[in-house]
Amino acid sequence: MIAQQIINAVSLGGVYALLALGLAIVFSIVGLINFAHGELMTLSGYALLASLVLGFPFPVAVLVAVSCGALAAVAMERIAFRPMRGASVTSLLLTSFAVSSLLKVVFQNGISARPQAVAMPGWMTGAFSFGDFTIGVGPSISIVVSALALIALEVFLRRSVTGTAMRAAAEDFDVVRLMGIPASRIIATAFLLSGLLAGLAAMLWVAQRASVDPLMGFTPVLKAFIAAVVGGLGSLPGAVAGGFLLGIIEVLLQATLPGAIAPYRDAIVLSGVIAVLLVRPQGLIPAVRAQRS
Amino acid sequence: MLSVEALKIRYGEVEAVRRVDLTVDSGEIIALVGANGAGKSSTLGAVAGLVPAASGKVIFDGADITGLAPEAIARKGVALVPEGRRIFASLTVADNLRLGGAVHQPAAEARLREEEMLELFPILRRYHRVKGGNLSGGEQQMLAIARALMGKPRMILLDEPSLGLAPQLIDTVFDLIAELRRKGLTILLVEQNVALALEIADRAVVLANGEVVLAGTAKELASSDLVRQAYLGA
Repeated sequence: MIAQQIINAVSLGGVYALLALGLAIVFSIVGLINFAHGELMTLSGYALLASLVLGFPFPVAVLVAVSCGALAAVAMERIAFRPMRGASVTSLLLTSFAVSSLLKVVFQNGISARPQAVAMPGWMTGAFSFGDFTIGVGPSISIVVSALALIALEVFLRRSVTGTAMRAAAEDFDVVRLMGIPASRIIATAFLLSGLLAGLAAMLWVAQRASVDPLMGFTPVLKAFIAAVVGGLGSLPGAVAGGFLLGIIEVLLQATLPGAIAPYRDAIVLSGVIAVLLVRPQGLIPAVRAQRS
Repeated sequence: MLSVEALKIRYGEVEAVRRVDLTVDSGEIIALVGANGAGKSSTLGAVAGLVPAASGKVIFDGADITGLAPEAIARKGVALVPEGRRIFASLTVADNLRLGGAVHQPAAEARLREEEMLELFPILRRYHRVKGGNLSGGEQQMLAIARALMGKPRMILLDEPSLGLAPQLIDTVFDLIAELRRKGLTILLVEQNVALALEIADRAVVLANGEVVLAGTAKELASSDLVRQAYLGA
């Protein structure tokens, strides 16, 4: 029972971490909090549904769905955010709200406002047991996928030139451009990565629920936003720490709160967030930014 | 090699640069001197593409580069070492250097270039795996110059390389600048320390309130009454 709860907590935390990381990557480079991040998730969910309906084998469908999330993120930057480059933080924020609302309406009117069932393979809902422990296949896969994605991202950011340039751009974008590295390449890569992570998170989210609806991305991305703020907005290790912390606390409260107080779970979690920010306003692991005169 | 013609720069209502004309010939060191707020850094910023010009032109190698993006100007062979060094504090010395040479040459050549830089700046070899933010001011200045040189620029713009450095370190940096010129690099140097700048430069341009007030060979300026009274304290 406890083992199962730990697995659930880490699995939920992993999904929040992937989403928070996507928000943090974009924020660290362009200073935009992308509220349309949730719609990237929803879009990937529908892409999975469509691929399965079209009869693609499951692994291919997942590949298509994740790629759709990544490409949609790049397209979003190209169409909506690039014309706004250099605009104020408020204008960028409003643009992302507009993109988010627009996509939601398209999903509602173009597909359906009601949840659509996604036929996940049967083995995903199974469980395996070690002696006394029973562990769900879905949450276990979720943990493995999150861990692999985090490792792959870390290797990319540390080893590749573009990844190094992204870390540098989070500190001082102008100087990266002075090195001859095109701003557009850095920004497009940031969106591509955030879309990939949103797509992966969508797969893990849908795997637990076996359905997609137009508002699917809203709640997890709101949580991810909270995680990113708690971790230190724009800090990538902070986003991961915040994501896991939030997931673990949520599952822990769910498992331990008596029935009468259970509805207050989110209120309790958010009070915790306020407490953390009172003590550490810059978040758990603050982002490094160049101080400029 | 570089010519700046009737450059004007505005920040909102404020005219930071009213009119600057200057030319830099291949292999020269030109010093751009003047008091704080005279428009020196803004002029360098406009050449590098970081600051938009309100009017006027920047010509490099016969081509108009006014209004090009900073990355495009960098690729043409103009490197700016910005004021305050602005090295990437959270990246290692190795990564700082790697970014400096990333787009200008194939990876194998970049490694050779890095080896050259480590020869030229032994201190950087010692701190190769150390984060840039942990270096001292002088070491950071060396790193900032080495990072700019990684891209094999033909012209380098140095903004206040002596700022905040101890006197012996300033000598080291200026010896290095002289050495770079001997190797054929063209240098536009912005410097508040006028005496030091005139010692090393071939020619100099004096800015005051965003305008050129005096220009000539370093020798002429060093003996001019205006420069002696206003900047050399004589």
